[in-house]
Amino acid sequence: MLENKPNILIVDDEKGLRLGTQRLLEEEGYEVTTAENGYEGITLGTACDFDIAIIDMKMPDIDGLDVLGAIKKVFPNTICIVATAFASYDTAIEATRLGAFSYIPKPFTPDELIYQLKLAHQQRTLLLEAEKLKKEREAQMLEIANEKSRLNTIIKSINDGVLVFNREGKVVYFNSSALKYLNLTEIKIGDNIPDEFPPQISKLLNKYISSEEFIGKTYTTQIEVLPNGELFVEAACSPIKNPDKTLAGVVVVIRNITELKKVELIKSQFVSMVAHELKTPMAAVQGFLNIMLDSQIPLPYEKQQEYLSRSVIRLRSLLDLVNDLLDISRMELKTKQREIVEIDMSEAVKSTLLILELDLQKKGVAVIEQFDEKLPPIKADINEITRVITNILSNAIKYNKDKGTITVTLSSVQNYLVMKVADTGIGMKPEEKTNLFQEFFRAKNEKTRNISGTGLGLTIVKRIIESYNGKIEVESEYGKGTLFTILFPINI
Amino acid sequence: MALIAIIDDDPDILEASGLVLKSKGYDVVTANNPNDGYRIIIEKAPQLIILDVMMDEPDDGFFLAQKLRRENISTPILMYTSISKTVGLDYDKGEMIPVDDFVEKPISPEQLVAKVQKLLLKK
Repeated sequence: MLENKPNILIVDDEKGLRLGTQRLLEEEGYEVTTAENGYEGITLGTACDFDIAIIDMKMPDIDGLDVLGAIKKVFPNTICIVATAFASYDTAIEATRLGAFSYIPKPFTPDELIYQLKLAHQQRTLLLEAEKLKKEREAQMLEIANEKSRLNTIIKSINDGVLVFNREGKVVYFNSSALKYLNLTEIKIGDNIPDEFPPQISKLLNKYISSEEFIGKTYTTQIEVLPNGELFVEAACSPIKNPDKTLAGVVVVIRNITELKKVELIKSQFVSMVAHELKTPMAAVQGFLNIMLDSQIPLPYEKQQEYLSRSVIRLRSLLDLVNDLLDISRMELKTKQREIVEIDMSEAVKSTLLILELDLQKKGVAVIEQFDEKLPPIKADINEITRVITNILSNAIKYNKDKGTITVTLSSVQNYLVMKVADTGIGMKPEEKTNLFQEFFRAKNEKTRNISGTGLGLTIVKRIIESYNGKIEVESEYGKGTLFTILFPINI
Repeated sequence: MALIAIIDDDPDILEASGLVLKSKGYDVVTANNPNDGYRIIIEKAPQLIILDVMMDEPDDGFFLAQKLRRENISTPILMYTSISKTVGLDYDKGEMIPVDDFVEKPISPEQLVAKVQKLLLKK
């Protein structure tokens, strides 16, 4: 018996032969389908991939050769055996040309047929095997091609520049970001390390290439590609290892760090400003203490007392500054723990005014409160809101005229609670107004010379307000006064 | 003894530095802004100028130093600052700024006196 029942199609118009062959083959373990004319033969033979087809040459409707051609066209792996009583040299050639496997003359003995079928079946098995292998190989090739193009697409899409050098220092791969970040118009595959290449990278590449021993480390270097901090990159060079632990090449990954450098610069400028602001009062205090320690400088008691109290004032301002800096740093780190509560702004303003009572009295400044009734509460951290009100009000006192006034207005406009603080003070020049919210900016002129401050008060106010999605605006007229307007969202 | 001008916007620094120099026998004139500073230099013709850098004024210490040199006033200038060289703004003596020496605040009275003596001798 046969293992997988081969599928046989018998196309013959002779009923007796058709049925006889069918019975014989079914006994031998074949699965048999029959077609009684050429038309049926084509229909069946092109509908299903038969293992073997036995086709009679002479049929009344369609010629056996046509049936053969039709089946082969659709299923080239169907093994076709041509059977005919009118064997001729010409038809044999034509049948072979159309892809017939063999030619069996009629009448044939069962043994003859079975022998032919066995050969045909072997051929069929071989064909199918070959086809399967071919398909597998094609699939694999496709996969490799896909993999390669996928990798290519990935590397091309990487925002970082990627460059690969072989162990002779020749460029074997690069992506467009690499060109961009090195400010080069072109690199040619196969070229040596280009001359216009940043020397820092060339140096690192040569280090890997010229070394006798394999260097396993990754080296990074920062390069200012375009001057004035316009383009800063960090290049990381890593070795590519052969299986035998020798150098295959070097891959260079180039990252744009321009923004990072900008932040670094701002940070270092801020540190520089902080250092200056901290050192100034310290220098003054140290100056006074040195004088008092110096036995060569005789100082009357009153002078000593004066210098000591001036030192204390400078130290207090230093402490204020340190506290402000800590507040800013906490705000930046967002580590500040917030306790969001409902705040009645009119109460918050009133309690802050109580704290500032002494400062108000000293300067003889009067406060006019214009609070709308039934103000909606805001939701915020009470310490932060108190800080905002304190900083704004203490500025309004400090920069006011003696016996001036401060008008505090509270109202709700659309979704905002609006606080306006107007003073009758020295006001600001337009150029001072633009720098107002900058760290350490303090308007310096003959009128402000004796007013102390850290230069961080309004920076802190602005940061707090903006962290709640609020707004702060300022209007000022030099010599007349300043108006701060704070808009604080109600629905948050 | 020599006359020294101190120009600084910090009144405490003016007072302390002034006292130290006076105790060493120098005569001292002071100003707390560049305009007054320029005026006392022209009027009193000091032999040495101690000038603060960062006066937060639109025309700061650097500006005043350049202005003096432009007008061929070659009085030695000791530039005084509390900005550390190590951060942000790197500068050194002579680098674009026409001054004779550079000191960082705070400075001890001995250092100040030593610098002043050296600059006066150089002249």
